[in-house]
Amino acid sequence: MNLTALGAAIAAFTGIGAGIGIGLATAKATDAVARQPEADGKIMKLLILGCALAEATAIYGFVVAIMIISST
Amino acid sequence: MKELFDELLKEDKAFIHIPYGNGLFDLYKSVVVSWIVIGILILLILFLTHGFKVHNISKRQAAVESFVLWIRGVTGGMLGEEGVRYQDFMATVLIFICACNLVGLFGGTPPTMDMTVTVALALMSIILVEAAGLRKKGVGKWFKGFTQPMAVITPMNILELAIRPLSLCMRLFGNILGATVIMELIKFVMPLPIIFPALLSVYFDIFDGAIQAYVFVFLTSLYIKEAVE
Amino acid sequence: MLNVSILSIGCTVFNLLLLFFVAKKFLFGRVDEVLVKRMEEVDEATLEAEEAKQKALATQKEYEDKIASVDVEKEHILSEIKKKGYVEYDRIVSDAKKKGEQILVEAKHNAEVENERAKEVYAAQLTDMVIDAASKIAATKHSSEDDKKLYDKFIIEAGVNNE
Repeated sequence: MNLTALGAAIAAFTGIGAGIGIGLATAKATDAVARQPEADGKIMKLLILGCALAEATAIYGFVVAIMIISST
Repeated sequence: MKELFDELLKEDKAFIHIPYGNGLFDLYKSVVVSWIVIGILILLILFLTHGFKVHNISKRQAAVESFVLWIRGVTGGMLGEEGVRYQDFMATVLIFICACNLVGLFGGTPPTMDMTVTVALALMSIILVEAAGLRKKGVGKWFKGFTQPMAVITPMNILELAIRPLSLCMRLFGNILGATVIMELIKFVMPLPIIFPALLSVYFDIFDGAIQAYVFVFLTSLYIKEAVE
Repeated sequence: MLNVSILSIGCTVFNLLLLFFVAKKFLFGRVDEVLVKRMEEVDEATLEAEEAKQKALATQKEYEDKIASVDVEKEHILSEIKKKGYVEYDRIVSDAKKKGEQILVEAKHNAEVENERAKEVYAAQLTDMVIDAASKIAATKHSSEDDKKLYDKFIIEAGVNNE
């Protein structure tokens, strides 16, 4: 049995954390916009920043998975 | 599937192979593609900005002016008042990364899918950030800035010098690589190879590419803003 | 996949700098040039407009002054006219008064003359009556009583005539 596919699958689990993180960030951002609609520009910026940072982890997992698959 | 990955990821990146230094001095295909991109951009700029007038402006000039003002507003807003002098450079980087990411739309491999280009971009970013800090604060204050907010955190601050460009570089590279790989997979899997991939490429090539370019520029601007404060 | 080449990195850096300088010189530079020129023109136009406004204000003030002086002049003329009118009025009134007085004097004089004439007429009548009475007395012989009666009658007649 080839274990590299399993390794790639495990690496892809980083997506869970990224998804939860982005979901939380978006929920809070929606909250904040509902509370202060006039600050939506700043909130949008911070949301994009947070999403980019959270997404980075998923991207790292993805890169690792692809490297695992392609390295054998 | 394996062959697809191999074809996509393990192909020889060298455009011109220089037989010295074990491939360390190869000229990669991505660089050639980025030359093409830059050539097109330069031609576009030269064409769009020729014959500017002060009065009775053409629609082309009006569009270029409003575009310049808009992109300056975007980057200037991210840089803050102290770092507003770097807005033109950040706007250029934004345009360049956007154009590079959009190459996938026309069937080529985006230059940003190669780590070489993103490493170069990240290196320029971190050099610009530190240079802006040095210019603003002077050498002594710049060195002192590593011990802030407290002395314990100094190793972290020094590590950040490496982590920041690494994160910038890997984020851009991974995103574009991911988008390209997924697009290849979809083209491989889909029975109708035109319509659905075209729809998805709107997201993966245009939206994701623009967002990643924005995020790259945004983070760099944030670092600059932090450095010059 | 993860290998990098120094030459390519250098080339990319050079690429980006080249693009930056081209963009700086042509895209941003040209747009800036136009914007600066336009700004200057706008400033100039604003200055000119300001000057024109000042001029217009000055002219307006002049006119207002003139109008105010015209008012004063008008008042002056009016008052003069009024004064003249008063004088004329006074003159006319005094003339009329004088005339009236004259008329009055004349009328008095006339009345006196008339009176005089009436008196003369009365005196003539009285003389006639006296002559008449004397002739009557002379014509008839009377007692002293008759004389007295005659006297009374005469006096009464004279009184009646005189009234």
